[in-house]
Amino acid sequence: MKLNGAEILVETLIAHGVTDVFGFPGGTVINLYDALYDYQDQITHYLTCHEQGAAHAADGYARATGKTGVVIATSGPGATNLVTGIATAYLDSTPMVAITGNVASNLIGKDSFQEVDIVGITMPVTKHNYMVKHIEELEEIVREAFQIARSGRPGPVLIDIPKDVQQARCEFHGGKPKPLLPIASVREEALAAAAEMIDASERPFVYAGGGLISCSAGEALRVFAERIDAPVGLSIMGLTALDSRHPLKHGLTGMHGHYVASKMNADADLIIGIGVRFSDRATGSTSKYQEKTKIIHIDIDGAEIDKNIDSVISLVGDAAEILPRLTELVKRRENPTWIAQAELHRQEAKRLLAHEGEAQREQEQQSLLQQDEQQLLGQEGERRLEQRAPGTGFTPQSIIHMVRGFTTDDTVISTDVGQHQMWVAQEYDFCVPRTLLTSGGLGTMGFGMGAAIGASVARGSARTVLFTGDGSFHMNMNEFVTAVTYGLPIVVVIFNNGSLGMVRQWQNLFFNQRYSNTTLKRKTDYPKLAEAFGGVGYRATSLDELQAALDAAFAYDGPVMIECLIDINEQVFPIIPAGGSFDDMIVK
Amino acid sequence: MDKVLSVENFTLSIIVANRAGALSRVTGLFSRRGYNIDTLTVSPMVEDVTMSRIIMTSSGDEATRKQIIKQLDKLFDVKEVKLI
Repeated sequence: MKLNGAEILVETLIAHGVTDVFGFPGGTVINLYDALYDYQDQITHYLTCHEQGAAHAADGYARATGKTGVVIATSGPGATNLVTGIATAYLDSTPMVAITGNVASNLIGKDSFQEVDIVGITMPVTKHNYMVKHIEELEEIVREAFQIARSGRPGPVLIDIPKDVQQARCEFHGGKPKPLLPIASVREEALAAAAEMIDASERPFVYAGGGLISCSAGEALRVFAERIDAPVGLSIMGLTALDSRHPLKHGLTGMHGHYVASKMNADADLIIGIGVRFSDRATGSTSKYQEKTKIIHIDIDGAEIDKNIDSVISLVGDAAEILPRLTELVKRRENPTWIAQAELHRQEAKRLLAHEGEAQREQEQQSLLQQDEQQLLGQEGERRLEQRAPGTGFTPQSIIHMVRGFTTDDTVISTDVGQHQMWVAQEYDFCVPRTLLTSGGLGTMGFGMGAAIGASVARGSARTVLFTGDGSFHMNMNEFVTAVTYGLPIVVVIFNNGSLGMVRQWQNLFFNQRYSNTTLKRKTDYPKLAEAFGGVGYRATSLDELQAALDAAFAYDGPVMIECLIDINEQVFPIIPAGGSFDDMIVK
Repeated sequence: MDKVLSVENFTLSIIVANRAGALSRVTGLFSRRGYNIDTLTVSPMVEDVTMSRIIMTSSGDEATRKQIIKQLDKLFDVKEVKLI
């Protein structure tokens, strides 16, 4: 059967189980969109407002399901608009196939209209990428792209297809998807050595991450941790791997990690890192991190071993295969003294944070009095500052807890980047894998709206929550329009503190309160904005108002914005300054 | 790595698919990860014209050398990396 390039591409997507794609049309993908028109009963195309939003949607779709997300963009600006989305997926190891059109082969290299070397541009942020030069290669390249995207450590792959290749015709072979590339099994001796080291340790600590989500090894982690009775700390990418109700889970570790998790991490004589890359945000100073502890590193990517920290034993492979085998080999044990240490740290934390409430109220009073700040914010800001009665307890934490009262365990939570992201990571009790979508590696402000759309689509228009800040939301809020178009019930909770809070926090702590360009003098009226976009919006200045807004939002069949006015001086604690160690932790 | 290790010169033989962009992937990896390339030659392999051999001399401490080899191994156009 002879088909044109665009048809071959769509047929191959269908053969790979693709049912939803995100994208934006343009001159060099008209042929592809023409083919999509024929196949619309088999593939639904979601049209976003901007290619970046489409890329984040494909990424969110993949994160929420484990399936490969697909995004389409035209050449030139369409392609470059994908770059942040592709890099976001690359840093967080999300399987994604990005398809771009390019100018016809005879125009390539001539600086033609909307021509850009997207293969060159995305080389450092893709697992692999292709330009299809001949129609005969197309089918095989698409199959290979899907194979690479999900094999081993997942990641994005880009396929650039010149317009003439989409038009040319050739025989379509209808080939099946290629099997995932094999992962070598870990040698028994290496496992035995690891088991021996674990058995000999007195204070084992498990540090687990996104790798466990990728290979669905959350349950294997639970069984393993229980067997050796080890406390578990998680990177933000792995936060959903273990149910928060589990007594061994101590939550987030690293720069903004929980007090207890950080202390246990620091006290451990053995750290078992699983599906993690020991990033700078997780370790701080690498020399201090490994000073008093041994490290066993388990990861699917051999290049992560000894990249950031030195491990004594490394196991390269699939954690879903390794963990059950390791669990068999280690001795079942209980560590009452070690576990009791966590309780001691919990008491310490309580003591250290005891006066937090008072201090917060004081701070709030102060912020009300800060005339210069009010001038910066203008009259609107003044009105808003007055709206927040001090000591009402309308804190980021109380907002997150109230929203949690409306969600189920499997509701997908998406975030943007900054203070709100850390508050969510610290406070929200995630219970089910793949329910937190957040840009952990690249730290992409503007990720959340697109990701929430992708997740909602992936789960059959399921209710999804986006926690965002007024800084992040302004980056890609246009995609709220997309959620309106497709009737996706996304609840957008905006923490509005009138500032770029995380940068402001650093300016406060490390730059002598010189708030350079972090005070936002914006006058965005979110309820009106939501309405203008065709959705619904509310403003909350107290928990009572938030309760009413959430009651309405969770009953509404479409996207809703809820603006929560919070104090500009709210900060994320604990914080371990960049490059610092657990000893440098600032708790308030 | 905070450890101070001695910098040494070493030579790599890298077999890559003889495809457009393969050399760029290899050299791009070096520049973006801050590795050194001291000398570099490329030629098609006599025994298999679909492959090219890159002979490269580089320098770095032991940890860097190991990382270079592992990162090169991850590139899909790279078929073999050997320290010679």
